[in-house]
Amino acid sequence: MTEPFLSIRKLRKAFGAFTAVRDVTLDIPKGEFLTFLGPSGSGKSTTLYAIAGFQDPTSGDVLLEGKSLLSVPSHKRNIGMVFQRYTLFPHLTVAENTAFPLRVRGRPEAEIKRKVADMLSLVRLESFAQRLPAALSGGQQQRVALARALAYDPPILLMDEPLSALDKKLREEIQAEIRRIHRETGVTILYVTHDQEEALHLSDRIALFHNGRIEQIGTGEDLYLRPATDFVAGFIGNSNFLAAEHLETAAGASTIRLADGSLISGIRANGSFQHGQKTRLMIRPEAFGLERKPKHAELSVDIVDVAFYGERRRIVARTRAGQEIDIRPTSSAVAASDASPGKRQVFFDPATAFLFPA
Amino acid sequence: MLLDYDRLGWLKVALLGFTTLVAAFLLLPVVFIVLLSFGSSRWLAFPPPGWTLKWYEELFADPSWIEAALTSARIATMTAILAVAIGVLASFALVRGDFRGRAILRGLLLTPMVLPVVVFAIAVYAFFLRLGLGGTTAGFVLAHTVLALPFAIIPIATALEGFDKSIEDAAIVCGASPFQAKLRITLPSIRIGIFSAAIFSFLASWDEVVVAIFMASPTLQTLPVKIWGSLRSDLTPVIAAASSLLVALTVGLMVVTALLRRKLQT
Repeated sequence: MTEPFLSIRKLRKAFGAFTAVRDVTLDIPKGEFLTFLGPSGSGKSTTLYAIAGFQDPTSGDVLLEGKSLLSVPSHKRNIGMVFQRYTLFPHLTVAENTAFPLRVRGRPEAEIKRKVADMLSLVRLESFAQRLPAALSGGQQQRVALARALAYDPPILLMDEPLSALDKKLREEIQAEIRRIHRETGVTILYVTHDQEEALHLSDRIALFHNGRIEQIGTGEDLYLRPATDFVAGFIGNSNFLAAEHLETAAGASTIRLADGSLISGIRANGSFQHGQKTRLMIRPEAFGLERKPKHAELSVDIVDVAFYGERRRIVARTRAGQEIDIRPTSSAVAASDASPGKRQVFFDPATAFLFPA
Repeated sequence: MLLDYDRLGWLKVALLGFTTLVAAFLLLPVVFIVLLSFGSSRWLAFPPPGWTLKWYEELFADPSWIEAALTSARIATMTAILAVAIGVLASFALVRGDFRGRAILRGLLLTPMVLPVVVFAIAVYAFFLRLGLGGTTAGFVLAHTVLALPFAIIPIATALEGFDKSIEDAAIVCGASPFQAKLRITLPSIRIGIFSAAIFSFLASWDEVVVAIFMASPTLQTLPVKIWGSLRSDLTPVIAAASSLLVALTVGLMVVTALLRRKLQT
């Protein structure tokens, strides 16, 4: 097996009695865009800071091309980093900010000049070179921070929620910039965010953190379509969880009984369950339809409210067992008159539903 | 805002009147001294019978006044340098440090501001006499540095508190050693605080008289001590001239500070 580019081995970080990161192990190939996604306090930032060298792990190791980084001080790790807060040097111009990492490395003046020009054109801020950070918008400041972090061609770029201080429109704009820059430079990026849309939009792979562990790692599609745990299913995208009793599983297909007594078979089994075991059935809101289709299971509901959300309608319905569910068919697939409040049947493909232990 | 100045109505007039009165009360004696320094009366009579520059001529003709002013400037400059250097180091410890007794250390460093100066002066006098520092420039500078430290630490620590440490971290990730990052990024970023500290500690020494009286020797006098001594021997308008120059320098420094602050903040 070839040596992975960046390797995190059984990384553990405890703050007193609180363990922020619990034995995280992860291999990252060169050029990958990997996102650490998770709620706050899940250990994603702590892991990133251990790679940057701002926090010494309690145990475990971080290896870059097979060599441990832990004994290397932060300033010699040769890592690029963009922070959550604006960290441009306030007394230096955009050009001097970008030049700083090259100056401390004592590079020749001609090279610095060329590199700064390259970097500012990469982030499309050539005309701002002589401005001070205070004269830039938040989005521009983070783009300069990106230029500064990439100026010395670091093998790894760490990004700690770099867009969280920006408004939604600007965020999407800079996400596109980051994708382009990743494509153009081929740098390996580790990106921390708590925003699942950002993670899905940007990443090659996502590591979903929960309570200091990686709950699941895979492509956005893996996490969305094949969640390993109910936490992943609940965190990525919207989900409905219905209480269900497992009856049997044969040839990978399970049969369950919902709380309202209806039987559903053909569910893809996600692990092994006992007969009579209490489980939770996860169904994505967009998996529901209002039309009967072959092999689809049906659910009797009471539609409570319908709202128009542009490309989708959002229907709030209640099952016979009194559980509220969220249904989001595309607006073109469901006419407004079909989704009027009242009793009716809704349908879903059991193969897109997942069964988790309760 | 409830107490918006524009909405105060007639109270606005009262407030303006009261403020003017307080300002006048504080400034009037200084104005009188300046006026008297240009008056022709030998006995500091007011209003002056005529106007003259002869007291200034006399002042600049007397080497002992020049000597005293230069001594003051020298001591104040050294005090400012020393107080800022210690102030920067102390501020990093007080703001960034996480050690037992940090609050006590902070209190201790700020004590000279509230301690009665005469108590400090007597203590320092007795102590320095024993060390052979009495009447020396070094003794002056050390004693004034202690007095100036609070005025150096407060602006520097405040500026450092307002400085986001992530910026220093960013410099370190960029490849600067922790020391380099502080020198090239953190210190320039808090330069307003450092500059204020330098001015305030300079002034703390420049117009300090109590400790200076105890520290002074016949050969080493600061300007305030010289003024004080002359006042007691003969009441001449030269004192008013010297005082006016003292005031002028202080006002000048404050104006420069205000202008530089405005410039640095934009």
